[in-house]
Amino acid sequence: MRVTQGAFSFLPDLTDQQIKAQVEYCLRNNWAVSVEYTDDIHPRNTYWEMFGMPMFDLHDAAGVMLEINACRKTYPRHYVRVNAFDSTLGWETIRLSFLVNRPLEEPGFRLRRLEAQGRVQRYAIEPYATDQPPGHRY
Amino acid sequence: MSDPAGAIGEQDVLALLADLDRELIGLAPVKRRIRDVAALLVVDSARRSQGLPVAPPGLHMCFTGNPGTGKTTVALKMASILHRLGYARKGHLVAVTRDDLVGQYIGHTAPKTREVLKRAMGGVLFIDEAYYLYRPENERDYGQEAIEILLQVMENQREDLVVILAGYKDRMARFFESNPGLSSRIAHHIDFPDYSGEELMRIADLMLQQMGYRFDDAARAAFGQYLKARMKQAHFANARSVRNALDRARLRHASRLFGAIAGADRDALSTISAQDILASRVLQAAEDGAHHT
Amino acid sequence: MGASGHTQQMDISKRYTAGVLKYAQMGYWQPAYEPKESDVLALFRITPQEGVDPEEAAAAVAGESSTATWTVVWTDRLTACENYRAKAYKVEPVPNNPLQYFAWIAYELDLFEEGSIANLTASIIGNVFSFKPLKAARLEDMRLPLAYVKTFRGPPTGIVVERERLDKFGRPLLGATTKPKLGLSGKNYGRVVYEALKGGLDFVKDDENINSQAFMHWRDRFLYCMEAVNRAAAATGEIKGHYLNVTAGTMEEMYQRAEFARELASVIVMVDLVVGWTAIQSLSNWCRDNDMILHMHRAGHGTYTRQKSHGVSFRVIAKWLRLAGVDHLHAGTAVGKLEGDPMTVQGYYAVCRESVTPVELPRGLFFRQDWGGMRKVMPVASGGIHAGQMHQLLDLFGDDVVLQFGGGTIGHPMGIQAGATANRVALEATVLARNEGRDIRHEGPDILASAARHCKPLQAALDTWKDVTFNYASTDTSDFVPTPSVS
Repeated sequence: MRVTQGAFSFLPDLTDQQIKAQVEYCLRNNWAVSVEYTDDIHPRNTYWEMFGMPMFDLHDAAGVMLEINACRKTYPRHYVRVNAFDSTLGWETIRLSFLVNRPLEEPGFRLRRLEAQGRVQRYAIEPYATDQPPGHRY
Repeated sequence: MSDPAGAIGEQDVLALLADLDRELIGLAPVKRRIRDVAALLVVDSARRSQGLPVAPPGLHMCFTGNPGTGKTTVALKMASILHRLGYARKGHLVAVTRDDLVGQYIGHTAPKTREVLKRAMGGVLFIDEAYYLYRPENERDYGQEAIEILLQVMENQREDLVVILAGYKDRMARFFESNPGLSSRIAHHIDFPDYSGEELMRIADLMLQQMGYRFDDAARAAFGQYLKARMKQAHFANARSVRNALDRARLRHASRLFGAIAGADRDALSTISAQDILASRVLQAAEDGAHHT
Repeated sequence: MGASGHTQQMDISKRYTAGVLKYAQMGYWQPAYEPKESDVLALFRITPQEGVDPEEAAAAVAGESSTATWTVVWTDRLTACENYRAKAYKVEPVPNNPLQYFAWIAYELDLFEEGSIANLTASIIGNVFSFKPLKAARLEDMRLPLAYVKTFRGPPTGIVVERERLDKFGRPLLGATTKPKLGLSGKNYGRVVYEALKGGLDFVKDDENINSQAFMHWRDRFLYCMEAVNRAAAATGEIKGHYLNVTAGTMEEMYQRAEFARELASVIVMVDLVVGWTAIQSLSNWCRDNDMILHMHRAGHGTYTRQKSHGVSFRVIAKWLRLAGVDHLHAGTAVGKLEGDPMTVQGYYAVCRESVTPVELPRGLFFRQDWGGMRKVMPVASGGIHAGQMHQLLDLFGDDVVLQFGGGTIGHPMGIQAGATANRVALEATVLARNEGRDIRHEGPDILASAARHCKPLQAALDTWKDVTFNYASTDTSDFVPTPSVS
């Protein structure tokens, strides 16, 4: 299957050219760009590993591409995403987030059901990959 | 990277060179080199429209020369020139010295250098007194690491960053002998010669004009004398020395006016006269010297 | 104006003698009054009856929405009555409309109970609209002072926290209302939800009149919808939701339904405007306490917001709802099947989303409204829109909006999943292009056509609906057209 997290997952995987253009958009908006990776793709897993610090004060996407490519080279079988953070008053949050790398095979999620009272079920989603310990998942 | 959306043409280049001529006195070799690079860009653009292959030129530079010969000034200008020509995407300048690139302990240097490089991408990285990066006498020195990283980026990301080194000619020569890889990646070794007396006079006029002052005729003649004498003395720093001299002249001008400042008119407030120059110790020393011989 | 005896405040010694006075004489017309930072301000558009002075009409509105009665009463003198009288301080003719006037009215902050929209509305619109000397009246806009704004909790979640909870940044959210509106049983209803969410939408929605009827009891709906939501989340790896409608006949029943939604771990519930201001505030507090996003459907508003001459403008309703505390609010599409002139609709969006809503007469914003850090409402565009309009919607409204394509998803020729996918691909492709710097307003159709080459469902959607537009003259447009600047 194909996990559709991030802003552009329904489009074909972005080329380096397209990624650069998105990063330029973020820099034009004065957002700080950061790179994160994980092998636990559960949708509630919000704290991915940071690859380096968020990059403030950059003028050009080339610097960010260096980091993105370094992350993809170091963790080729992890999910890697690019985040853009806006620190202006009233926002102070992420304004754009999209995937730039994913493992070759994505097994998907197990849906656990626990029967409770009446017809209520307690659901839990688990990525099949997390049956393995971290680092051995993809 | 080269050639922005609107292709730059010969007229734009001529306009740029005219601006340069106006803003910078002398510096003929520099202006010649810039003209060549600009011409190449226009030719590349024409070649491209004819379907001919085009390879981006090497743009890394090394400026050598004595203090006050315009190295930093030109480096600052280079960023916006390259941007106007379409070689630098963003056209900003990041100016650093050794301490901005080299760390204090193991593992500190690489991220520090990479940070600086990322910030400079799209523009120009100016490294003043770059030879301090290399300290062969200290085996625990981390400067070599910074040099390695620089070399890689200068080679592999030529479209993303232009590096300009600057410093004294002899020290730079020794630095390059020990780091031939660096020297070979510099396409433009430009020497900044000392200014002539006539050029320094024009620089003085320009500086005064920018400050809102002017020489009267006697003062100009006096300043010419001053320059002749000063240039013979030690530690002459070209344009910087001119600036210092002008600052001292302004102080004497102010002292001269003191006591009658409220009544001074616009002209009096902005005209440097001969006595403001002649009071200089440099000229007294010259006179003494002349008397003794 | 103000030279005639009718419009001057009467001398204090004669003011309280029994009898009938003009409102202006009673002190409700104060042209020299400077509104204070702490005043509540209201702007009415009034159409006085023939022979009624506009200042007198404005004064009457001020009076009847504060302390006046049709005759002088001595008991007024038991109070510091100048404090409680509203003051009409400015009257101007409406441009290009000789029969209508704008009337500005200021109210002391003391008149209002803190944290109560019910009180605010009862005060401002409780009496005045049936008043005979006015042919018609519309509450056009209001300015709530910061001191008053701070007595409300505002949206329980807000745009920023909603996105952080869903982990979705950088694009509008997508939704759809289940169709047909009525008649499906719970199990079949859930099928529609599953298909739409799996295909690519973020949310599906109950319709406003889906509460608990013979054909589908609310508990069945909730159970089957959450089954669909969880299956779709597992199939996609995204957080999904369905707006479970908790509208009911009594407050107790509403709480019961909301509690069940929480038990089933829904991220969001919905409520209809018709439950009333008090119920809305209660439910909003409950949502805050239970980490639930609150979606507001503005059911019924068209009865009083649509006509320019009479009623309450939706921008005022939006302000009241932001204070009362909703997270999503239907605010118009401008290009869909329901009423909404683009500039006016953008004005509603500014009320929902800005930290300080600025004055912008062409967008119908008459006052600067400082929201004092209050969280932002996510506007919802819903009604007759389809994938072929994606570039217009993104251009008009930006990223912080929920775009709902009910018919546009469920009516897709290749099925519901395909409909959802078509919408999602259209959206992502348009956002990608806009970020790259392309002019989506003009290049939109090309961008969509190009994306459709990789996506058959999108191609089918564009082919099916390419000629659908809803172009009728809007009934509620701005009186202020921006004059083109000289360039």
